Amino acid sequence: MRVTNGARIIAGTALLALGLTACGSESSTGGGSAAGGDQPVRMELGEPQKLFYPGDTTESEGAEVLAAVFAPLVKYDENKQVINDVAESIKTTDNKVWTIKIKPGYTWHNGEPLIAQNYVDAWNYAANQDNAQGANGFFSRVEGWADLNPGEGKTVSAKGMKGLKAVDDTTFKVTLSKPYSQFKTMLGYTAFYPLPKAAFGPDGKITDAYAKQPIGQGYFKLDKPYNKGTDQTIDLTRYDKFPGTKPKFDKLQFKLYTSPETAFNDLVAGNLDVHDSLPPSAISRAKTELGERYIDTADAGVGYIGFPLQYNKIYSNVKVREAISMAIDRKTIAETVFSGTRAPADDFINPLLDGYRQGACAVCNYDPAKAKEQYAAAGGPKTLELGYNTDGPHKEWIEAVANNLRANLGVQVTVKPFEKFASILDDLDKKSYTGMFRMGWAIDYPSAENYLTPVFSTVAIKTGSNYAGWSNKQFDELLAKGDAAPTQEEGLKYYQQADDILIKDLPYIPVYFYRTNAAFSQHVKGVKINLLNQVDWTKVEKVA
Amino acid sequence: MGRYIIRRLIQAIPVLLGATLLIYAIVFALPGDPIAALAGEKRMDPNIVAILRDQYHLNDPFIVQYWYYLTGMFGGDFGKTFAGVPVTDLMAGKFQVTINLAVTALVLEAVIGIGLGLYAALRRGRPADSLILASTLVLISIPTLVTGFVLQLLLGVKLKTAGIDLFPIAGVTEGWRSYLLPGFVLAGVSIAYLTRLTRTSLAETLRADYIRTAVAKGLPRRRVVGRHALRNALIPLVTFLGADLGTLMGGAVITETIFNLPGIGQQLFSSVHLREQSVVVGIVTVLVLVYILANLVVDLLYAVLDPRIRYE
Repeated sequence: MRVTNGARIIAGTALLALGLTACGSESSTGGGSAAGGDQPVRMELGEPQKLFYPGDTTESEGAEVLAAVFAPLVKYDENKQVINDVAESIKTTDNKVWTIKIKPGYTWHNGEPLIAQNYVDAWNYAANQDNAQGANGFFSRVEGWADLNPGEGKTVSAKGMKGLKAVDDTTFKVTLSKPYSQFKTMLGYTAFYPLPKAAFGPDGKITDAYAKQPIGQGYFKLDKPYNKGTDQTIDLTRYDKFPGTKPKFDKLQFKLYTSPETAFNDLVAGNLDVHDSLPPSAISRAKTELGERYIDTADAGVGYIGFPLQYNKIYSNVKVREAISMAIDRKTIAETVFSGTRAPADDFINPLLDGYRQGACAVCNYDPAKAKEQYAAAGGPKTLELGYNTDGPHKEWIEAVANNLRANLGVQVTVKPFEKFASILDDLDKKSYTGMFRMGWAIDYPSAENYLTPVFSTVAIKTGSNYAGWSNKQFDELLAKGDAAPTQEEGLKYYQQADDILIKDLPYIPVYFYRTNAAFSQHVKGVKINLLNQVDWTKVEKVA
Repeated sequence: MGRYIIRRLIQAIPVLLGATLLIYAIVFALPGDPIAALAGEKRMDPNIVAILRDQYHLNDPFIVQYWYYLTGMFGGDFGKTFAGVPVTDLMAGKFQVTINLAVTALVLEAVIGIGLGLYAALRRGRPADSLILASTLVLISIPTLVTGFVLQLLLGVKLKTAGIDLFPIAGVTEGWRSYLLPGFVLAGVSIAYLTRLTRTSLAETLRADYIRTAVAKGLPRRRVVGRHALRNALIPLVTFLGADLGTLMGGAVITETIFNLPGIGQQLFSSVHLREQSVVVGIVTVLVLVYILANLVVDLLYAVLDPRIRYE
């Protein structure tokens, strides 16, 4: 029976396959598709970029998980105002020395009480250059930050920032090097979470074990360590000793997806409950199939076209920049190219925040006739270049802008793709690229000031994201005045004046504001997205 | 035979070393700074960037970086990703998924492809044959991206919403069932090729003199086809399947993304993007090894299928 040898090989391979796949099923996690009382609320998530170090989590996915595990000092209410959360009071008289008192009753998931020293430890850790934490720069306003950051290759001699001191177990004091009225607003951000004693190993570094399964003081705790790259779910259970408002359900599961389309299919099929990053391709389906379970709200992000003012003189005439701005049909781009996942921009400050003024940017209105006239009068260049990075969804809208400019200004436009955003910056630095470029900004903390200082101030040319290289003394002064203002309202006034200068001088052209397009399943209700683009779990309820 | 295998395995060592050097160099030559890519579109503190570059030896010349990598690799340390995860841990998890997927695809491919091809060859010129030929042509011309999304929507979402939970839509949390649909999508084009290959190969063998002799001798048809014809016709098919295994493992980026399977195709894609040399080289090394072993197994199978072939 020689023939059966061939058959045996095939049969053998088949058995092997079954064996292997069976192994796979044993080792896989989560599951439990059967609907029941114990089923977790399942939320879509992209893979977090790093393990869970609060001071090194500067991207949205990791921050979403940490927001469930940690409770912030302050949070933001529905009226865009900062309110205390873990903090009982945050007091200052001069915007320079801040005294923060924490509410009693908070404990870490390992049972230890939360103390003021936990904040001091965490912040000093994040601010120390030896730990190379991504959010290091957030602490640069604290007095003594420079001592922890003497520069590469130099040893750090200071133990911590001298502006940071625990007064007693519930109170600590932060001294800034300069007055900064928005400091309180910053405190809701991931980088400002505290860390328990258990986080640090004998060498004073955050341990791998902790970064895989962070112990927090928030309303959820991780069930088991997260194996990045392997695990497809992150499972959490409610921490019942949490003293604040607790979620009404006891299990939360983050499901990791690489494709938002796939996640949307899973949601429609009932395998997922919350999805907060619907792709444009799913919008029309979501509207028709989900009805009220589709959410469309403002998101704090802004998309711009940037001018390489530092590198190329042909854009130095503001009249040319204005003409280019007026030649862009923002409405069509937002509604057609982006299927409504963007809104046309009309200010440098996003409508989600206090300080936004509708229609503030007059030259953001589409006016092709005036654009053409002004462009010709100002002697704008005959050829323009427009660069974008191909690792994001930018090709379509950049092409649309290019078409607008061709049609409305009568110029030649070359669209130049770059592999990633960093390549654009590299080429700008090397002057091998001198054209306009796409640019975006997502806020770190919900303050109007965050749209100004990190992107347009003179110091941000070196240390921030001022890629235009634009510098304006009056603008910098107004920011300083806003930072020193005694009240939020007064500060806002100065920031808006600074915003006016931007609109007048147009170092970037605001093109669109992002929208959050989310959806949820029939199993849940009350899904709300907050200012930080995170789900507020205390409001979510399971539907039986 | 044993000596032959050992010789082949020794030959693999320079191939592996060459492959690591080549891949390392290619990733090194990619434009853009990995640390800047890590930071996204916001500028990280330049001081922190400098420290990170130092930590990952990014300021050293190429050959020094490669040396660090190579010495680590011989000590069993494939390095760490920029997120601080050991590459060996990462690969172990990803390869588990990929092997499951590739083997499912390979089995589907072999069973469906050879089965359909056999059927078509025996019904040559009849409507069934034409139908199979036409449908394979359709399958070949549709990109995986399309079959993936369409099947996911029809067999995953629509069936599930209709109350029939047959194929999971995404992820690997449902055991072997998770791999059926992606396995089929991944194997799709290969199934079509294999069907056509089987049909041609078998049809040709069936015309050979020794088959006519066997028929004339009065052997039952089953025996003629099964024992005499198919066995000889299998040689090109085994070659095809062997070579396909490597493709199924390393080239499943699209399928893995659509069905959300955390396999190495996806990992390779994102690591090339992030310029994570250690991950890229680690994965490619293992893939080269898979190719070498698959080739070896194919060569050994020749001897099983055709006793005239001997390896000394």
